[in-house]
Formats: sequence, C-alpha cells, structure tokens
Amino acid sequence: MNDSNSLHWSFDYNYGAQNPQFAQELIGTLRGYDPEVAIRGTQTPQTITHVYNVLPNYWRGYSRGGDTETLRIGTAVIERRKNDNLWHYSVKYENTTSGENLQMQFCCSDENYRPLRSNWSINVRNSAGDEYSQLTCTGYLASDSEVRLRINGNPEIAAGRMSASVKLTCNWALFDVIPTLARTIQASGDGVDIAVLEDLEQLRLKSKLGFLESIQTPIPLDGYYLYGAGLLPSYWWLDGHGDVAIVSTFFETLVLREKMGEDV
Amino acid sequence: MNERPNILFINTDQHSWDAISAYGNPFLRTPNIDELHRNGTSFRRSFCTDPVCAAARSSWATGLYTSETGVPFNGGYLRSEIPDLGQLLNAGGYQAFHCGKWHVPGRDVRESFQTLYYGQQDIGAGGAAYYDSASTHAVAGFLTNYDSDDPFYLQIGYVDPHDVCEYLHNHEEKQIPNPLEQGIVSEDDLPPLPENFDYDERETVLHRVCRRVDDALIHAAILKEVRDWDEFHWRYLRWNYYRFIEKVDAEIGRVLTLLRETSRHHNTLIIFSADHGEACGSHQMFQKFTLYEESVRVPFIVACLGDNVPVEKDRFDETHFVSGVDLFPTVCDYAGIDVPEGIQGLSVRSLVEGKDVPWRDCAYIESNYWGRAIVTDRYKYVTEYKPKAVEDFQPPGPNTDQLGLAQLFDRQNDPGETENLAGNPTYDEVVKVCRNKLFAQEARLHRQQIVHPSPKQVISNWGDRLRTYWADGG
Repeated sequence: MNDSNSLHWSFDYNYGAQNPQFAQELIGTLRGYDPEVAIRGTQTPQTITHVYNVLPNYWRGYSRGGDTETLRIGTAVIERRKNDNLWHYSVKYENTTSGENLQMQFCCSDENYRPLRSNWSINVRNSAGDEYSQLTCTGYLASDSEVRLRINGNPEIAAGRMSASVKLTCNWALFDVIPTLARTIQASGDGVDIAVLEDLEQLRLKSKLGFLESIQTPIPLDGYYLYGAGLLPSYWWLDGHGDVAIVSTFFETLVLREKMGEDV
Repeated sequence: MNERPNILFINTDQHSWDAISAYGNPFLRTPNIDELHRNGTSFRRSFCTDPVCAAARSSWATGLYTSETGVPFNGGYLRSEIPDLGQLLNAGGYQAFHCGKWHVPGRDVRESFQTLYYGQQDIGAGGAAYYDSASTHAVAGFLTNYDSDDPFYLQIGYVDPHDVCEYLHNHEEKQIPNPLEQGIVSEDDLPPLPENFDYDERETVLHRVCRRVDDALIHAAILKEVRDWDEFHWRYLRWNYYRFIEKVDAEIGRVLTLLRETSRHHNTLIIFSADHGEACGSHQMFQKFTLYEESVRVPFIVACLGDNVPVEKDRFDETHFVSGVDLFPTVCDYAGIDVPEGIQGLSVRSLVEGKDVPWRDCAYIESNYWGRAIVTDRYKYVTEYKPKAVEDFQPPGPNTDQLGLAQLFDRQNDPGETENLAGNPTYDEVVKVCRNKLFAQEARLHRQQIVHPSPKQVISNWGDRLRTYWADGG
C-alpha cells in the first residue's frame, strides 16, 4: 500500500482528472455488493452469476460523451451452471468505448483448471455505427491440440497449436479457477503454469498464475496475478467469500457489483 | 502482375524499428510480423517524418512533411486543400477502406474512406485494449464478405503498442513497486537496460524543454515519477512494451491467416509500418517526441504472401533511406494512380522489386515544429530553430541565423547516440555538410503557414517557454 489513505497500487487509479473519483466509485460498488444477500438471491437453480462494472483506469476520456454520473464504461456478466460434470459458461461483455457487445458460450471440465472443451461460440454485435456490425465465430480443439476457428461461417482457420499436456482454459473461467486453486497457487511459490484462450480467440501459452499479497483496504482481499507471453499483467483480488471482487490491468478495472445463485 | 493488386496497409503505433523477433530481438516473439518479413523486403533505414502520432500520420495520408501538412503536433490540423490517399484511390477506381486508428486531425476519415470500424466515439490517441480486437473483428468481416470486382485498399490502424503510454500514465501520482518487489517476474525475465541508457546531456534546448526539465512541456507528471525509478522499473517498462507488441502481432496474425484462407493473399500487396517509435529507456527517456533513433526509426516492410505481386522476399534493404512520406506514392504506384504535384515521397516499388534506381542520400525528420534531423550513411545531425521574436506561424527554415543548438552522432561508432560530437571542431565540416543537406531539403518543401487556432495556440505557448530558456542563455 502506498499510504493509509490509498488503495492498492494495482487498482488505485484515483487520478486527479477523473471525476467522479475512481476510488469512490470502486469502493461504492463493492459496498453495494452484499454477499449475504447475493447468495440468497438465486435466479435459476445451480446457476451462479457474477456481474462486474468495468471502470477505466487513469483516463475516462475513453468514454467520451457518456454518462457523467459514473465512470462505468461497461459490464461483464458471467453465468455458469454445472451439468454432467461440465461447467457451461455464458459470458456477456459490453464495452461502451469499443462499442462491442460480446456473448461467449463455452464449456469446461469440472476440474480445478477448468479445461476448455469443444465447442464454443462467440457472437459479437458492434454499435459503433460503421460497416462492422456483427461477427460470429465458432471454435473447437482439434485432435492434434490445435485451436480452430470458423469466422462468419467461412472456412476454418488455425488459431494456434499447443502440446497435449497444456492446461488450456478461457480467461473468463479464471473467475472460478483462481478461487479454486487459491491455496495451490499460494503454496506454489513461483506460481502455476496455465494457458489461456483469451476471449475464446487468442491463444496465450506460457502464462503463469501466482500469489501477490493480502491487503485490508478497501476490504480484506487476497491478490493474485496472471502474466505471460502476449498477455498484459492482470491482478485478481478475492474477497473473504472466495469471489473475485476486483480484476485490474493497467488499463481497466472490473469491480464486483452483484452475485446471484448458490455455490455448488 | 496483370491486374492491379489489393493493397493492405497494416500499421502499428509507437513500434520501434528493432522490436521484431525476425530482426534479432530476443526479448519478444512476433511470429506474424516475422512472416511478413519472410515474404517481403524490410527497409532497415526507415524513419518517420515526425515522432508523434498525428504528425506522422498526416504524412502517411498526404506524402508531405509536417511543416507542409499543418500538423506539427497532435494538436495540428490538416490543411483542407491537401488531397489525401483515400480521395485519390477512390477517384482511381479503388475501393478505399479504413479500420482502426486514424488520428489525422482536420480530416474526417469517413469522408475519405469507407470506414469499417472507428470506435464508438472515434478512436483518439490510445486505447488498444478496447479497439485492436474490434478492428480485427471488423477486418475479418470485411475479408470474408468483400465481393466487389474492384481492387481494394484497406488500411488497418492498430493502436498497440501505444498502450505503453497508458502503462506510463498509470505511474502518475502513485508509486508502483518494481516488478521484483511485486514478485511477479524474476530478474532473469527482464530485458537488460539498453546500452544507451546513459546519455550526453548536451541536447538541444527544444529537447530539454519538451522532455527533461521539471516542468517539461510534454508529460511532466510521468517524468516526475520516472525520476524515482530504479533499474528494474526501467527494465519492466521494456518487458511490458514487448508484451504490447506481442498482443498486436497476434492481431496481425489473424488478419494474415484470413487473407490466406480467403485466397486473397496472392494478389494483395502488404505494407507494414509504424507511425513512430518508442524510447523505452534509451537515453533515460520514455515515449516518443525526440529525434533519437528509437523514437524516429520504424519498421517498413513491403510483402506479398502469394506470388502475383513481385516482391523480393526475406530480404533486408540496409541501404535506402525510406520515410513516412513514401507510403503515399508507393501505394499510388502499385494502384496505377498519378500522384499530385509537390509530393515529397518516393515510391519504393522499384526497390522492392530489386531494381537499382536513383534515391535520396539522407532521411529528413521534423519534430515539435522547431526540431529537425538529417540522417546520413554515417552521421545523424539534430538541430532546432529558435522561436521567432514575433511568431508568424510560418514553420521555420531554412535559416542559418535562426538555428539553435545541435547534436551530431557517429552512427557507425556510436549507434546508440551517446556522444554529441557537434561541439568538436574535428566535426565542423561534417556539421556543415549535414546542415547543407537540411537546408536543401527544406528548400524543396512547400511550408505552409499554420492557420488553425489549435496548433497556433500550442506554438504560442511553447514558443513563450522556449524564448524564456533562450533568454536565460539556452
């Protein structure tokens, strides 16, 4: 921590030009989230949903012309349910700066690393107003551990290859992988190896999850990091309930706003 | 080649010339840009026209230097009477498309190009984390759906690695521990400090006022924090910079793969370049805005992944000086379109095809309105014009009386530009030759008075500060 009045350096973006203040909005969002209420607020049985506000770090200029009452420039909604030893994910990520609204559907095995299983799909709608309005993409893992994608129904393309022993998951499954592996990561010293298919499109091999530190401000949080080739370092903070409360890169911060559903 | 080719101009932002693994940089992996190199000619003596986004991009768009375009800074404004590349291509039978970053103030990209994607609120300077993936999505849609009989020109403006600026801004007003204290990387993971981390303090006044002094004209808040950095902070900056490049390389890879899968690669010429470079710790400097090599020297690759466009492949051109003004005439050459009179650039097509043609013997670069550089085979000469007593907003030069301080570097014996030889009498003749080249180039320019209020305000404000320094003896 920098001093008693500041947040952690990995998500303290209370830059003077930001109005409203980043810290105020981050803490307000976290305080608005009541885990006790959240756990009772079941929607569909055995479906767990986390909702995150996306805040811009440093400069709100990326949300030019937007809502002046909030820094929020997007929302991420992560839903998953377990069925037949598979976790079925449905992720919605809306970003008012890019104009993109991504909907991702994928499955993972019910294992600690949540290995990604074939097939998956991405549907993107773009509201930015130029010629690009939508995109569909489906993907699967070929038998030779090659990631293959089909964009707009056209011929398949190879999106990367890995060895069969690589533990591949999706970055959106890390919201479960990190809580599940928390003790393993903490005990590992140098961290644990993992591969990530970022947004189900970009293969990031040779990545690592490690433990950062525990802090008390703004609430008790345990910090983890993810870094690797082609990835910008990201910092993942678990609250006392084992939920990812904050995810921060140098560029943006996701703050837990709402949780629904029973833990399975 | 019987038909006019499709032309794909892929540009990255703030990408230094040597930050490519095919060029021998061991600290990052760029397999997709490497593929472009294997399928084309890499010009190793490639320089931007001006090391800042809008200025350099105004040269891409027009084939002119920035004292001609009206865009000497990011706050410039492209003169309305200057035709741009999109307008010429459209008139010449091409379908001209734009996707991603444009950043040529004063010219609405949508009036010159069919725009695939330009962000929800129009892309400004940075924001790769939001825009680059979306740009690739837009291009994927384009490549899988384009069905016109006309050839296309598509320029893709990726923002990364410009997000290194956001990384730096994150350090304003707070202390971020070095990565070893953070515990997320080991010392072995980090690139070393650059060999030219130390620098010769005998720099131009313009350089010091813009980038060195406490109240530096450009990003003083970052400078304040950077002064407290230890070695590992600097090395971690370099480590992060290379991750940004790996990210954008992956986006480029998706485009190249789709180009192949849609069978357009045989008849598509690809040009890859960057608007300017990144200091990345050299001379204890960050970002661009200076005339040092890391800031002004950029990749420039001309390639074809197929066989229908004649290109010398897997080749380094170590000889010819290429500039950002050359993009415009090169594209026009391949498109079979006559360039307007007064264009400063040259088509590199003959060089790409392995032909020996007359060529310029130096590169000319401008910076921050008053800064100038000449790069020759052996030397780099950097100088500045003093602000006029009464500013008339006519870009300066050529004028011996108005010249300020100078820097001279021996590119052969001191490629890191660490010793300023300009004050050494042994090199007086070299300085004179370089100055003559500078004036000769400037005499060929059609410098235009700055008329837009935005750049005039910057020139007035900066000019006042510079005059203060000169009044204090420089």
